[in-house]
Amino acid sequence: MADQAIEVSALSYSYGDIKAVDGVSFSVAPGEILGFLGPNGAGKSTTIKMLTGQLQPESGSIRILGMSHADQREHIQAKMGVCFEEKNLYEAMSGEENLRFFASLFGIKGVDTDQMLRRVGLGDRAGDRVAKYSKGMRQRLMMARTLVNSPDVLFLDEPTDGLDPVSAKAIRMLIQQEAERGAAVLLTTHDMHEADELSDRVAFISEGRLHAVDAPENLKLQFGERSVKVRVRTGDGVDERAIALDDSSAADFLKSAVESDGLMTIHTEEATLEAIFIEMTGRGLEG
Amino acid sequence: MSRPVSHATVIAAIVRKDLAEYGRDRLWTFLTVLVIIVVVALFWILPDDVEESINAGISGLEPTALVTLDESEEGVLPISFESEQDLRSVVAGDAQAWSTGGRTLVVAEGAEPPPGGERVDVSIGLAFPPDFVEATSAGRATDVTVYVDGAVPDEIENAMASLVREIAFGVTGEPLPVANDGVGETFVVLGEDRAGNQVSAREGFRPIFVFLILMMEMFVMASLIAKEIQDRTVTAVLVTPATVGDVLAAKGIAGALSGLVQAVIVLLAINSLSPQPLLILTLMLLGSVMISGTAMLAGSSGKDFMSTLFYGMAYMVPLLIPAFAALFPGTASGWVRALPSFPLVQGLVDVTTYGAGWSETMGELSALLAWCVGLFALGFVVLRRKVESL
Repeated sequence: MADQAIEVSALSYSYGDIKAVDGVSFSVAPGEILGFLGPNGAGKSTTIKMLTGQLQPESGSIRILGMSHADQREHIQAKMGVCFEEKNLYEAMSGEENLRFFASLFGIKGVDTDQMLRRVGLGDRAGDRVAKYSKGMRQRLMMARTLVNSPDVLFLDEPTDGLDPVSAKAIRMLIQQEAERGAAVLLTTHDMHEADELSDRVAFISEGRLHAVDAPENLKLQFGERSVKVRVRTGDGVDERAIALDDSSAADFLKSAVESDGLMTIHTEEATLEAIFIEMTGRGLEG
Repeated sequence: MSRPVSHATVIAAIVRKDLAEYGRDRLWTFLTVLVIIVVVALFWILPDDVEESINAGISGLEPTALVTLDESEEGVLPISFESEQDLRSVVAGDAQAWSTGGRTLVVAEGAEPPPGGERVDVSIGLAFPPDFVEATSAGRATDVTVYVDGAVPDEIENAMASLVREIAFGVTGEPLPVANDGVGETFVVLGEDRAGNQVSAREGFRPIFVFLILMMEMFVMASLIAKEIQDRTVTAVLVTPATVGDVLAAKGIAGALSGLVQAVIVLLAINSLSPQPLLILTLMLLGSVMISGTAMLAGSSGKDFMSTLFYGMAYMVPLLIPAFAALFPGTASGWVRALPSFPLVQGLVDVTTYGAGWSETMGELSALLAWCVGLFALGFVVLRRKVESL
């Protein structure tokens, strides 16, 4: 098996004169979650379409589990799971029937749909038609469908977009469990908190180009300030100070603040992923 | 390296899913069942007999002459009138003719009909002069007035002229003097002579009914295809080991299977699967495949239910024309014969109505097969492009 589950090199694609993806290169290791961060129209979905075989790259190369789409498309697709942004489920069929149908496309017989549906919290709605499902339930069923073949590679396109906090948390938990199982996960999102919480590494994409691929902590350290903000209650109010960690007096000040009765809060001053994204690309993650 | 999942497994899974979806679509299921019931009911309601004779009103001839006419002229039913005036008023629609007690009574339009009388429609009248028998026997020229209703076609008018000669011959035993002596009349029937083998309304509508079932199938399949594209469920299928070819082959098989089964149900219900069941099934199978190809075109064109319905109608109207042309044998012009559905309709008519066999329908089968391949390939390419563009 290849060291990297997903290997992308100099990938490009254009819609007419518009360059949607421009020379993108990255890799994802087994068990790793790579957060693909970028605003709408940045090139995230086009990249996923090329990786899942829906679009033919204009140039560049893709290797999934050491195989290429050109000659081993069916073998790649047998080992990957894709969760689309749009809820493309068969609404006239039940959740259970949707899973059975997709399992049969992978040649899987006797799939335990009950267990899969229980895993996404739909155990008691297995026989209901999807048309009766709420948005959150549909998204959870999409995740169950994505996992129906126990994939080695997962492509998740905005899996928690527009969901209530409970559904979103359930899906994030599933993603982490799949990564722990050993699946490589490419997660596209424009939710920086989600990317920060889930991703081992994040990739910033804007206008079709990758601006950075690194662990969130590294990016925060690189772009953030080494300082803490300390708030201490004084006799006639609140004293708020930013303490540079490289300052020689910082240690003494913090020690005395901690030992005093008036300490209210200490906050690190690291940069958020969104702030780093804006600094690197010149635009925000929304819109 | 072999495929992780065989094409057959994938196609079978999609066919099962498509048929299950079809069965759960209440609107299309209801419409399908409704059309089958209506078609079968209409078929059995339509008359199965053919009125092959024409009533010809006669005045001025003795009943013995009419007996001669009755025996000699097939398809002409002579109705005797007492006077030319009566005959004229009946043909003109100013009076009605009623048959009672072996006589023909003429009553004014709107007047009380005779008790126990039976209404007789007369749209052609032959008024013979009082000296007709003497004149024709002596070889003298004489005039017979032919009254025809405005709706009677020219061909019938000409036939009446021949009938007068026939009567003259029957009455006198001599032919009428003719100016072009020595010139005979030769009739050459081009194509199959259907004379005396007329098609009843029930038989005439049979191909239309069967074709309606296939058309219904086209709407259903087009709707399912359009929905799959619109909901992008096909995209989810195409990121599994299923290929575009698998999806399209499954659509074609599901459509053809469903259309064939429904057509066979209707054919059985209208007792039309004999005397050549295998040949009829072959025609229906090819027809179903052709319709599936058309459904792919309509389904690729439509974006929602209404636009799919619109495109379905746009494809359906030209395909229905040959079925209606079959109501009037021999009337199909060149462009109608060029339509894809013509060989299917003609083949059905030839087999179910005239008892044609494999050899007689080989031309229709070949043309239908060619259209099947062409339309299915076209539908396949158009749908593939549509799916790939999603």
